Amino acid sequence: MTTMGIIFANIYDGSLGDLTNKRTMASLPYAGRYRQVDFSLSNMTNSGIRHIGIITKNNYQSLMNHIGSGQEWDLELMEGGLEYLTPFSTGKNSHYRGKLEALHTAMNFLEYSKEEYVILADSGVLCAMDFRPVIEAHIASGADVTVVVKEGISNGEKQLDLAVREDAEGKAVELLCDYCAGEEYIAGMGIFVTGREYLMEQVKKAIGRTCYRLERDWLVPEFRGGNLKVNTYHFEGVALYNESTLEFFNNSMALLDPEIRKGLFGNPDLTVYTKVRDEVPSYYGEDAKIDDCIVADGCKLEGEAKRCILFRGVQLGKDAEINDCIIMQDTVIGEGAELSYVILDKDVTVPAGTKFRGTKNHPYVVKRGETL
Amino acid sequence: MNFQKKHCVAMLLAGGQGSRLMVLTENTAKPAVPFGGKYRIIDFPLSNCVNSGIDTVGILTQYQPLELNEYIGNGQPWHLNRSHGGVQVLPPYAKSNKSEWYKGTANAIYQNIPFIERYDPDNVLILSGDHIYKMDYAAMLKEHIKNDADCTIAVRTVPIEEASRFGIMNTNPDGSIYEFEEKPKVPKSTNASMGIYIFKWSILKQYLIADEEDPNSDNDFGKNVIPAILNAGHRLFAYEFQGYWKDVGTINSLWEANMELLGEEPEFNIYGEPGKRIYARNYAMPSTFMSKKAKTDNCFIAEGCEIYGNVTHSIISTGCTVAEGAVVEDSVIMPNVVIESGAIVRHAIVGEDCHICANAVVGGAFAEGVAKEISVIGKNKTIEVNRCIKPGEIY
Repeated sequence: MTTMGIIFANIYDGSLGDLTNKRTMASLPYAGRYRQVDFSLSNMTNSGIRHIGIITKNNYQSLMNHIGSGQEWDLELMEGGLEYLTPFSTGKNSHYRGKLEALHTAMNFLEYSKEEYVILADSGVLCAMDFRPVIEAHIASGADVTVVVKEGISNGEKQLDLAVREDAEGKAVELLCDYCAGEEYIAGMGIFVTGREYLMEQVKKAIGRTCYRLERDWLVPEFRGGNLKVNTYHFEGVALYNESTLEFFNNSMALLDPEIRKGLFGNPDLTVYTKVRDEVPSYYGEDAKIDDCIVADGCKLEGEAKRCILFRGVQLGKDAEINDCIIMQDTVIGEGAELSYVILDKDVTVPAGTKFRGTKNHPYVVKRGETL
Repeated sequence: MNFQKKHCVAMLLAGGQGSRLMVLTENTAKPAVPFGGKYRIIDFPLSNCVNSGIDTVGILTQYQPLELNEYIGNGQPWHLNRSHGGVQVLPPYAKSNKSEWYKGTANAIYQNIPFIERYDPDNVLILSGDHIYKMDYAAMLKEHIKNDADCTIAVRTVPIEEASRFGIMNTNPDGSIYEFEEKPKVPKSTNASMGIYIFKWSILKQYLIADEEDPNSDNDFGKNVIPAILNAGHRLFAYEFQGYWKDVGTINSLWEANMELLGEEPEFNIYGEPGKRIYARNYAMPSTFMSKKAKTDNCFIAEGCEIYGNVTHSIISTGCTVAEGAVVEDSVIMPNVVIESGAIVRHAIVGEDCHICANAVVGGAFAEGVAKEISVIGKNKTIEVNRCIKPGEIY
């Protein structure tokens, strides 16, 4: 059993507004020190996958800067390792519109690989998952494609890329896409296992029919037409869907729950790796009051923070008071500032005394490098 | 095989036992002792090297090298994984005619003459692995070359009443050294040697060979080699260093140096711009969680911690847990320590991987002006429920 990995870096970029204006979905910062791609990438390497392609479309500079040669994931290898599949790698379809087209641009990469199976993953769903049992289950099922699914996500409001309905035996009987499915459906996690050669053949065929979206144009119609056997794999752990700004905000706040932290970071066999930044430990001053916060390294904290996510190198001035905020890397909050429900991107400056409020359902996003 | 010539090669003496650090160096070489929440002592000279443009560093190890070797690895955290030069660990090794341990600091370098020769360096920088400081060795090297010195010794000014504890360099107005006194009873000056030397390699090699042939020598730089070079009339210069520097060879100085990271204007400013930072091997740990039950006051807390208790004037290293109701004061908590609820840790250094069980008490409070005795818990120890480790006790 040999498996290679493909990560899609740009899916859902549009739905996160200013947060993904100048970065890919994959390089969106999360939990104080990570980027979203760290989860997919770590899951793959923790599962023994040593040959991984990252398909990018645009804004991939920050992503490449973050992952580099893949050294933190032990992917600096003679054989296999990490490859960036940038839009220019084939000269055609340079701006893909969906995952099928994206895979088509990666055809060379798939062709000269030797692995029998491929695992495909988006960067929008965060989880710590061992892919080995998924691959084993896929092989045992004899199915063409295994879809990793999560219960308890569909609620009739959240639009799902892929919704699956199963019969009493757990056999997939209906597949829907782009649908606000009700509770009788289970949600896809954007993770698929299939055969490498099978995938190549299917992608070529689908592209020939001018199809470009994996779920809508290939998986769902082929399944419905009886041409494709789908197996489902139920993931039991914590899975966070960061597909909109509000979801990103709520899922960040979810980190204050010890069960969520344990689900993402508690398993030493599924350690989440990220780029090293040589920061000093965070300093908590005499008047700092930090309640229910996630704090990364390199912060200088002199003010008050409640229910906040503080990324590396954040400075919180004296008498500043921030509640329910996400403060990204190297942002400086001046003395006496008061903020609530605000997401400050990297390198933002909040002048002393600034008062600003977003709301619970509409956290206000301040773009990277701006002054509030 | 011919190697590209290096202008300056650094040799870092990391083989000492560090017995004055007691249980902390029981199974660990002193340079591998944790410091400042996420560092180890050796990170300071190694980071200084790379920040000074020195890309070839030999690390001489002897005592308990396993942890240190693993920590250094290929040198990548310090950007010293180079295809030419980089960091190399140099333990004593068997030779066809004679095999021996490193007998002294000079002998350790003597035994590695072949290593140094591979790079055909003009100068060799000798460093030790038990100092906490940030220094630009490039500036010192520049002075060394400007003075056409055979040997340049970094010095710092110490109070005259303490000068008899150090090796003192007596200098002429131009900075050249006319006399070296090891721990003089009546010191003539306050220029204390920091144990950081730059030698012209041709001179050092000659004196290392001569020193080795002298059966009465202790094979020590301070005692033997430097006096021999001075007495032979070579050009020795003192290089005055102004910044923070601390020998962390004792429990008290290690504790103090950690505490000097704290405060709004810390005595030792460990922060730095890119290119002037202190690098360390980073472990994959999530961000720290700070509960609303936690109280913090003037402390350093690294990543991967879960804090529910009260932490005052302390260093909490990577991966620690301080449970609700636990109290940590004036203490250095090394990586991956668990402090259970109700436990109290005061004026203590707690080694890596320790477990302080519920309601245990480590150390005690001291009144102002009373000499503070530091309690020390060695690596990987468990302090059972309700157990008491007295002030100053070494466990």
